[in-house]
Amino acid sequence: MTSAQFEIQLIASLVAIACAIPGTFLVLRKMAMISDAISHSILPGIVVGFFISHNINSPLLIVLAALTGVITVVLVEFIQKTGLVKEDTAIGLVFPAMFSIGVLLIAQNANDVHLDIDAVLLGEIAFAPFDRIYWEDYDLGPKSLWVIGTILLITIALLITFFKELKVSTFDAQLSAALGFSPAIIHYGLMSVASVTTVGAFDAVGAILVVALMIAPAATAYLLTEDLKKMLGISIVSGVFSAIVGYWVANFLDASIAGSITTVLGVLFFITYLFAPKKGIIAVLHRQRQQKVEVSLLTFLLHLHNHTEENERHLDHLQDEINWQRGTSKRVVDLALKNNMITINNQIVSLTDKGKLFTEEAISYIISNKKSEIEEMKSRFFLFRG
Amino acid sequence: MQEQNAIKVDDLTVAYNYKPVLWDIDLVIPEGVLMAIVGPNGAGKSTLIKSILGIIKPLAGSVKVFGKPYQKQRDKVAYVPQKGSVDWDFPTTALDVVMMGTYGSLGWIKRPGKKEKKASLEALEKVGMLPFQNRQISQLSGGQQQRIFLARALVQNASIYLMDEPFQGVDATTEKAIIQILKELRKAGKTVIVVHHDLQTVPEYFDWVTFLNVKKIATGPVKDIFNDDNLTKTYGINYKVSMQK
Ligand SMILES: Nc1ncnc2c1ncn2[C@@H]1O[C@H](COP(=O)(O)OP(=O)(O)OP(=O)(O)O)[C@@H](O)[C@H]1O
Ligand SMILES: [Mg+2]
Repeated sequence: MTSAQFEIQLIASLVAIACAIPGTFLVLRKMAMISDAISHSILPGIVVGFFISHNINSPLLIVLAALTGVITVVLVEFIQKTGLVKEDTAIGLVFPAMFSIGVLLIAQNANDVHLDIDAVLLGEIAFAPFDRIYWEDYDLGPKSLWVIGTILLITIALLITFFKELKVSTFDAQLSAALGFSPAIIHYGLMSVASVTTVGAFDAVGAILVVALMIAPAATAYLLTEDLKKMLGISIVSGVFSAIVGYWVANFLDASIAGSITTVLGVLFFITYLFAPKKGIIAVLHRQRQQKVEVSLLTFLLHLHNHTEENERHLDHLQDEINWQRGTSKRVVDLALKNNMITINNQIVSLTDKGKLFTEEAISYIISNKKSEIEEMKSRFFLFRG
Repeated sequence: MQEQNAIKVDDLTVAYNYKPVLWDIDLVIPEGVLMAIVGPNGAGKSTLIKSILGIIKPLAGSVKVFGKPYQKQRDKVAYVPQKGSVDWDFPTTALDVVMMGTYGSLGWIKRPGKKEKKASLEALEKVGMLPFQNRQISQLSGGQQQRIFLARALVQNASIYLMDEPFQGVDATTEKAIIQILKELRKAGKTVIVVHHDLQTVPEYFDWVTFLNVKKIATGPVKDIFNDDNLTKTYGINYKVSMQK
């Protein structure tokens, strides 16, 4: 691995971490779209910064761009507060307007501005190692590394300092306000961090990858954990993982690095969406099927409980009576047998003592409408689930 | 000891987008009462509570808590929001939500420690939710979630408790358990204010009541003012004695 390769991966990883932290809170606040809006609407800030400083490397560009990001958020909220349109509509109104102001500014001054919109939107991390900082003759490393490193340190410091405030205002804004933690201050703080991160990172990796790195790792982590700190951790790990794997995929296929990282992020999310242990599609479908079989089992046991006469408990009769498909009845009878709830003698089904106990307890919960107790009871009685 | 008012609301008008939803409310809530706020959906009950807490800025009027603005008295007031106002899928546990009640006394930056955790566990115990402390909150039933909210208010150890529909979606057992706790709070000299929808139980649960529908209809002791006349004025339909048993 050459040092340039190492530097690219390091920059990409730091960007991933710097994006994952605000991204987690954006996802929890159901504000994923706002990062898209910020990434596009910072263009006028950059252009104006360039007009003033005449230097593409000036920190003024970052400051003004971050400011435009915050202005975007304010505008979106202002439009939304009029109550005439919903939030996503407001976002859809603001960011194309901001973006086109940026484009117009560039076009108007085409002669003396050498600002490339493609570079702004797509960025090219492959070139990041060539733009270096020197002190005297000493090579201090790539400029992007310094920019993103600084932003990351500030972000981490803010996260640690204000973790409690971020948590309570995200979960319950009203309580937060009542306790004296102004949700507005925390909100704009978070938006400023998101804006600054976007601006600092897009120079290296492009606006599209910034949005992907903010949202996809957080969305992936959301499916995998029920703990905020772990969610932050998983977001960071999956962001860094995608950055490094994406880099090598790009290297191998000789493709765009940003494109490859975005693809890996997407694939990772999709796999999680399918296979996440609790919230994944497959787990959810499995749980639904299990619920269905177990409800059928309960119906079946209730029927046995209500009928002592033998003809009502003959297997063939049960088939007609309860009117299930063969597969379902077989599965239900098997489950009941496996859990020692019933015995079968000459095709006649009887409840065992355990079966009786289970059914009677279930009836008492059904009468008093305590559904959650039934779930608890199931885990006590069942040796095997449906 | 000098009698004092827990909350005093003067000429309060609150509007959303310049459309007033509370008109010129005057309200005095004496210390130590267990008070119900009743009124139809959209009457402005939640809005009144949020204005007392400074969550919403009123168009006009003022609110005093023990004679001072709320901002100076935060530590004396605990709040239970309407259950639907938060995202129950948020990745956190029951204990953690209760701990949020301690954040107010901690102030900015300082983090909760052993003392806060101990207080939170005690509050969980009081509402019978100790075994569920590590449950993710979406895996709690509606009644259990409501108990968690109550525990979070208890841990604030305040003088005034403002609760927005704490009985929403809870079964009879939980309702009895919650009202028991509220009555204990009153016995300890606290002021408890509850937005309540079940008119049948008002005389049994509360000693003070406020009728609200955009304007204040009446406020006072249940035995004096909880009658058909005020119910009819508030709900607009003819109410036949809900007092008689
Ligand atoms: N954020 C808001 N923006 C605009 N209008 C609002 C907002 N919140 C409440 N309203 C309106 O203000 C009025 C009072 O609402 P509020 O929530 O205070 O009523 P409520 O008495 O608590 O009703 P409920 O019994 O349904 O909880 C309603 O007409 C409602 O539509
Ligand atoms: Mg309400």
